[in-house]
Amino acid sequence: MQKEIHRILSFIKAKGVDYADIRVQKLNTEQIITENETVQKLENENTKGYGIRVFLNGALGFASSQDFDCLEQVALQAIEIAEASALAQKDPLTLAEKPIVIDTYVTDYQIDPFTVSKKDKIDLLLAAEKEMKNNAELFKTMGFLRFSKEEKIFADTDGSYITQTIIESGGGIRASAADGQDMQVRSYPNSFRGNYATAGYEFVTELQLVENAPKIAQEAAALLTAEECPSGYYDLVIDGSQLYLQIHESVGHPIELDRVLGYEAGYAGTSFLNPEMMGEFKYGSKHVNIVADATIPRGLGTFGYDDEGVPAQCTPIITKGIFQGFLSSRDTAPIIGQQSNGTSRASSWGRIPIVRMTNINLQPGELTFEDLIGEIDDGLLLATNKSWSIDDKRLNFQFATEIAYEIKQGKLTGKIYKNPIYTGITPEFWNSCDGVGNKHLWVLYGTPNCGKGEPTQVAHVGHGCSPARFRNVKVGVADVK
Amino acid sequence: MLSKQKYYDIIDYIIEISPGFDTRVLIMAQAEGLTRYANSMIHQNVFEDLTTVSITVIDGEKKSEQSTTDYSEQGLKKAVTEAINNLEFLPSSGTQPLPVTEPALIEHDSFNKELEKSFGVKQRALELKTALNTLPEEYLAYGTYSYTEYNISYGSSQGVKRFARSNSVKFSILISDKTGGTSFITESAQEPQNIDFIKSFAQVFERAKLNNNQQQIEPGAYTVILEPAAVSDIVLYLAFAGFSAKSVQNKISFLTDKLNQQVFDKRITIEDDWQNPNTLAIPFDFEGYPRQRLELVTNGWAKQLAYDTLSAMKDNVPTTGHSINDVNSGGIPINLVMSGGEKPLDKLIAESDDAILVTRFHYMNIVNPRTAQLTGLTRDGLFQIKNGKIVAALHNMRFTQSIVEAFNNVVDISSDRKGVPKFLGNVYMPSMVIKDFHFTGKTN
Repeated sequence: MQKEIHRILSFIKAKGVDYADIRVQKLNTEQIITENETVQKLENENTKGYGIRVFLNGALGFASSQDFDCLEQVALQAIEIAEASALAQKDPLTLAEKPIVIDTYVTDYQIDPFTVSKKDKIDLLLAAEKEMKNNAELFKTMGFLRFSKEEKIFADTDGSYITQTIIESGGGIRASAADGQDMQVRSYPNSFRGNYATAGYEFVTELQLVENAPKIAQEAAALLTAEECPSGYYDLVIDGSQLYLQIHESVGHPIELDRVLGYEAGYAGTSFLNPEMMGEFKYGSKHVNIVADATIPRGLGTFGYDDEGVPAQCTPIITKGIFQGFLSSRDTAPIIGQQSNGTSRASSWGRIPIVRMTNINLQPGELTFEDLIGEIDDGLLLATNKSWSIDDKRLNFQFATEIAYEIKQGKLTGKIYKNPIYTGITPEFWNSCDGVGNKHLWVLYGTPNCGKGEPTQVAHVGHGCSPARFRNVKVGVADVK
Repeated sequence: MLSKQKYYDIIDYIIEISPGFDTRVLIMAQAEGLTRYANSMIHQNVFEDLTTVSITVIDGEKKSEQSTTDYSEQGLKKAVTEAINNLEFLPSSGTQPLPVTEPALIEHDSFNKELEKSFGVKQRALELKTALNTLPEEYLAYGTYSYTEYNISYGSSQGVKRFARSNSVKFSILISDKTGGTSFITESAQEPQNIDFIKSFAQVFERAKLNNNQQQIEPGAYTVILEPAAVSDIVLYLAFAGFSAKSVQNKISFLTDKLNQQVFDKRITIEDDWQNPNTLAIPFDFEGYPRQRLELVTNGWAKQLAYDTLSAMKDNVPTTGHSINDVNSGGIPINLVMSGGEKPLDKLIAESDDAILVTRFHYMNIVNPRTAQLTGLTRDGLFQIKNGKIVAALHNMRFTQSIVEAFNNVVDISSDRKGVPKFLGNVYMPSMVIKDFHFTGKTN
């Protein structure tokens, strides 16, 4: 393959392009879903193809195919598309400099998930479902496992040649309770099919799905008879199983430089941030320290090189509450006078790389869980995301969680509420943070369903966080008349 | 793209190498050229050609699935072998999805050669350049302009064959002034005479000019006029979380235990109709079953639900042919058509003393599926109507609203309707006037 890749890059270079790269990707995934103690889905997906990106006189063209017999034809098509792009081009696109790299990267894993028998995987989910059913009267139980192995090659006309193998593993369980009027859900370790990591099967073993089944089963059943969460302004402790998505929506997306520059204005939206705010804007309180770290072990946004061949990096985003910088790519970074910080990724061989989150992590603070709730007189602990929504500039957000636990006089009372929602404005919310849980409470959550771009691309990203405390947050909407 | 015969050959080969099994094959192929523009210039311009072969092998009550983009004999053999091997240790699922057997053949070819000739990458770029040149410097344009061809083929060991082929042009236009006031439209069509990018561009620009000096309103209950794009956002959510039989079986639907009851205002009628010229013309679903026309809501009464085979077996009824190849979702109606009312939108606006005009919504999500409570933001044009006229542009607002309540608070429905491109095709919606619609948050 390497010889063929060099040949096609030489072919493209001879056509007079400024720059070209090719990505070859082979992706195998395995998915198992069980429902009410039967296997609902056992599916393997295999895809292999390539995409060729060319820059010609500052204009971009990209073409892709799964047919490896027509590499030259696809290359010529990419050039033809770049020529068409130039017809409606005001300013030439400029690519930031990057090092020429010849390297190989492989996810650090212990057990290749594809060597574990499917029977063992199914048995694990069925056992977890049985444990849920044994511990509460449930309407439905479900189990999820998903594994993938991605092998990809990046090569460009500058001379880089990078091969990467990225392994992902993960899963989760869900308990649903229902009566004639209502249906309530609890999930473990997270909603939307669980938690995922760049890791081997050992990650699934560590999740302890069976051991954690009774708690969510009992909570799902208890939520049926729980009171509706009250409306008003409350002090909140937000568990990592919700806070990860708060980070994703109200920090991860607004710091994408392509959104800031308007590249997503017609679809995903823009951002309330602008380059002049770097180093100045008070995004959050002094407790808020956030980095974009593509190097952290097990992050779902962890890799060796992005899909433009730029090395993975750890970039400060918010330091002691002050906004520091954006996620960028080779075509966006020069516009603000910077180099790419290596976050340009494509969801498949058929899509172009665009700015994507890596692992956007809230760094741990110093507080224990008891410290976090200990200074709340009348508040709530919110856990596990149920729904999300945020405006196109990423300011006004509203989240629903699966459960709220009542806090009174610094202690959990044991009372739970159903259907909690909270809402706010991004900078006000992060400035209301007056404490972050310590490193022992810190969990890295994988989000395998981040949508952006046209045609739509679904990225796998990560968010590490501990529970954190926020003051005077608007809960519920029942009081809006 | 491959020929119809080549797709049939792939299906026949898979059936041949899986003797003795109930084998079903779905082939989805799409070739799309998509030009994306931002800040009034092309910034991304791409082409993708993708064919995916999905193979389901069934042995009694065991089912295993494989999908592959490698449709060489070697690639198909590997996929089929793995699918068969997986059956060995699968426990019984307790159900055997019924195969489609009739009719033996459905073919539908609505490919338009004129589109292929007229909307290549160069033509799209030139037309876009012409439109961009009409824009004053203080405005910028953003969006996409694409040409897509797609084929869907299906076949099974029961001997059935299905093939549908089509193509379409789709575009989106967002025009923004430098203060951030925006306007938006998205359209999709298959007949060249129904595609006028320049004209649509000019219409969006005219509307964008109105969206400046935005005023702030406070959260509360308002009478709203929802344009077709906003109505489509809501109805599509109802389709996934309410009109699917699986969502009722899962007790998450607002229609749980409500079938054959009045759930909405009597002026609301919603159908799923693939034969409506404004929707996606695919006569069969992803399990090969003929797609039926559904009366989802008739004069406010909940009438029918959308089924795939497994959800239909659970209710002991025939499938309605609405599989989207996702067993978790069950059957989903994707060709939604809402009936119109008596007066055009212009007249509804002219008759409104005090209302808020909503162009479309953004980032909608379900807060409580049992009450169809949704939340989301307005986007690309929110206007105050006083005494029949637009008097001010407004800052975007968040709504949190039970749609069951909203669709019982109907003031009027427009006679004119529009096709709105959505994830899996087009929907065809009127505008709606709704009272006591709850805006629960501000964006500034």
